[in-house]
Order: sequence, then C-alpha cells, then structure tokens
Amino acid sequence: MSTLELVKVNAGYDGKPVLHQISFEARESAIYVVLGPNGAGKTTLFRTIAGILEPYSGQVRFDGEDLLTSKEARKKINYLSHYNALPEEMTVWRALDFYAKIEGGKADDAISLLGLGELKDKKVGDLSQGQKKRVSIAKVFLQERDIYLLDEPTSNVDPAVSREIRDIVLKISKERVVLYSSHNLYEARDIGTNLLLVRNGTLAYNGKISDMKSKEYRVGFRTATDISKVVDAKLEGGYYVMSFGTPEEAGLMLKKLVDSGVIVTEMRELDNPLENLFEDASPSSAASGA
Amino acid sequence: MSSKLGTLIAGRSLSLAKTYVVQAIFMTVVGTLFSGASHIASIASTVGVPSTDVSFFTSTTSISFFAVPLQALAAMFFATPVVLLFVYDKNNGVLEYLLSLGISQRDIYMQYLKAGLILAGAIGVLDIFLDVTAGTLFSAGSVLFEIPILAIALDVSVVSLVTLIMMSFGSFQKQRVGSNQLLGTSVGAVLVMPTFYIPLLLPSITFWLDLGLACVIAGLSMVTFIASSRLIKREKLLP
Repeated sequence: MSTLELVKVNAGYDGKPVLHQISFEARESAIYVVLGPNGAGKTTLFRTIAGILEPYSGQVRFDGEDLLTSKEARKKINYLSHYNALPEEMTVWRALDFYAKIEGGKADDAISLLGLGELKDKKVGDLSQGQKKRVSIAKVFLQERDIYLLDEPTSNVDPAVSREIRDIVLKISKERVVLYSSHNLYEARDIGTNLLLVRNGTLAYNGKISDMKSKEYRVGFRTATDISKVVDAKLEGGYYVMSFGTPEEAGLMLKKLVDSGVIVTEMRELDNPLENLFEDASPSSAASGA
Repeated sequence: MSSKLGTLIAGRSLSLAKTYVVQAIFMTVVGTLFSGASHIASIASTVGVPSTDVSFFTSTTSISFFAVPLQALAAMFFATPVVLLFVYDKNNGVLEYLLSLGISQRDIYMQYLKAGLILAGAIGVLDIFLDVTAGTLFSAGSVLFEIPILAIALDVSVVSLVTLIMMSFGSFQKQRVGSNQLLGTSVGAVLVMPTFYIPLLLPSITFWLDLGLACVIAGLSMVTFIASSRLIKREKLLP
C-alpha cells in the first residue's frame, strides 16, 4: 500500500501561491474526502499531487520518493480532472483506446467497468455532459494504480450513475489511497473515511470523519400517525424533527415512540457534521466573523 | 509512454481537418506544375505558340524552383491541424491529463512537433514523387533532384518552426479553436518568401541558397524548441 506525504507544500500559478504550507500524510487505504469552498485550492492541491504543478517549495512523496525526481513515483497515481480531457472528435472506444495506447490498459475493460457498451461507437462530442463524465472516469481506470485523485467525479452525473461510481470508488479504496473532492456533503460523509478541509490554501482540518460531531444532533422520524401531540416535534418535509444532544438520546426517543404504540417507518439523521465545518470554512462565514 | 503520442496526434489531425489536406495536395500539384515549367516552351512550340512569347521560360530553369516554396506552404497547410489540435487539447484538459501521466512539458511539445513532421514528411514524399515524375517527363535535367531535395528540406524546417512558434503562442490562448491560423500562415509565408526571389535574382546558386535558408530555419526551430520547453511554464498547458 502506497503512502502519500505532503511536506510543507507551497504551490500555485504564475508565481502566486495558492497552497500555503500544506502538510499531511495518507498512510492507510481509505477515501480521503477533500472539501473546501470554491477557490480554496482543492484543484491546485490535486494538480500538485498529480505532478502537474511543481511546488514552489516543500515536497510531495510517494513511498518516500520525491514526485519531482522519481518517474516511478509518478506512475503510481491516477488523476481525474473536472475537465473531461477527451478527444471529442473520436468515438468513445477510440478515445479510450487513444489513452490506452499511451499509458497501457484496454479500452474494452474500461468500457465494461463503467457500463459504456451502448455508447462505445458514439462520438464523444455527441454525448451528454453526464455521459462524457462517465467516459472521462473510464479512462482513469485503464490502468490500476496505487493512488487515485478524483476531482468531483460525480458532478453532472445522475443519481444512479453517481451510486455506481461511488461503489467503484469504495471498492478500490479498500486497497488504495483515494483522494476524492466533492461539493456534495452528504456524499462525502457517506463514503469518506478521512477529511481534508482546504480553506484559503491551507489545511484547516485533517482527521477522521467519524471523529466529527454535529453541533446539534437533529433526527427525523417518519411515522404512520401524527405524533405531534405525543412529543414536541416539528413536521418538516414529512419528518417529525427533534433535536438531541447525542445519538443515544435519539435512540431512547425511538424506544419511547415504539413503546407508545407509534409505528415508526423511518428514522434518519438530518444534520451533517461536514456541513457545519464547511459553513465555517466558507468565505461568507469568514466575512461575517463566524 | 509518450513515443506513440506523436503518431496518434498526426492521425487525429488528419481526420480533423480534411479541407487542409485537400488544400495541401492542391498546392503540391500546382508546385509540381512549376517544377516542369522550364519545358513549357517546348510544349508551347509544338502547338504553335511563337518562341518570343515564351522566351522567359526558355531563358531560365529558375522558374522551376517556384515549386519549392509552394510545396513548403503546402506542407505547412497539411501540418496546420496539429497546431489547432494543440490549442484544442489544451483547452479541454487533454494536455493536463498527459502531464498527470508523467509526460513532461518538453515531451508534449516534442510529440506535437513530431506529429507535424510526420505530416510534413508525408507531403514531402508526395512532393518527391510528383517532382521526380514531372521532371522525368519534362526532361528537367539538373533540377530533377534539386527541387525535390529543396522541397523536403524546406517542408520539414518550415513546418518545425511554424509549429513550434504557434504552439508557444497557443499556450497563451483560450479560444477553443486557435484563432492563430492566420498568424501561422503568415509566419510560414514570410519564411518561404525569399525562395520566390532567389531563383530570379541569383539563379546560378539558387539550390545552395535555398538549402542554406532551410538550414537556418531548422536552426531557428531547434532554438525555439529549447527555449519554449524551458521558458513556458507547464501551467500554460492547463485549461
């Protein structure tokens, strides 16, 4: 299993740093969710790790080898940009074969993995944005590598395909390091193990998502009957919503409702701890002094 | 990893811009007609055209050397899609992805240049075939091989320099399809312009002067290649 390390990395464009003293290590196979408001430096971070941008200072290392000097280290990463990077004049098969001829792998395998069989003879330029995204993702899986950098892989993609992509990412993350950026905080919470929060080019948070706690634990209960007279709850979007200090209190409430004869058809957490963190990191909250 | 890229790009260029292919072949044929021009007089006389009317053609074989710049321009047209593709690939993230695969900026320039040279070489082979054929048919004498040699030397050198200049320029462009086509054509035209005048002014040493010009252009290409791959930062290859 490869280890990714960034040591005091400063990087940017045209001599202007965007990333400032970024340091972190990814030592376990997992999905590291990279969050941050627009312009925070997420894409710059990905490009720097992928070797597209050379850091102004600091080091990016794979298994102890410096990315800048080691060709072997560079070969260990796969990078998915939020640009499709597809030759649009080619058919899907030919476009994937184009990259397969450069980096290895087989177009047919990638087509099969992403279920692109029906599209393989269509021109890339004639596909919808979501379809192009799938083809773009397919090229990343032409060759197996140790580290995957996925910059918004589920943007512009319908929910069914998003789920498919997340399943693939979850599968590869069992043995590889995956850095995954997303603006979908619920998706990030569902699939991520670790969180890297980028704010103004610095790493504002680096830790496990499971260690994060919501400021307030809000739970929604969907019931067969009206429970507003039984408990103090607001009806929001079909859910009776209550706030608790801990998940255990929510569990006790569930027991109370069931013991009272209420048929509870669904119980779900409504709050996302990532949302609170994200809101704190966004420029608007910074401006308001939050 | 990157060695096949040039060939792949050449193939993509050909399929993208068929009008440039037609244009290039047309100019090559026109150039070939010039390569046999010195014997137009003998043809003309057989159909009764007075010799005084074609005396310019009988007095010099220099007019044949007009084939050289025309065929060099044809090669440039043939290779123009490579530059268009470079800007296109830059703007849709293909170059970024190639960088992420570990292909260096220098290698990327090299492979797009290689693609241009593959196309220039292909049209150069056509030049040689047509020029030698025309020269043989029209009993061209000493220019039978001089013109094809100059044509290919100028094809390769002009395409190299124009491709490198336009890629460097294209690195700063944002338009989806390079609006630098006219600039590329202009640069190429300026480079080959002397070869229109040399045969008229210095006919006895045309071959050596044209060959010397091709070498100078080739030298400028090398300098441009070294400078651009070092001076233009890799972030200029990003969309």
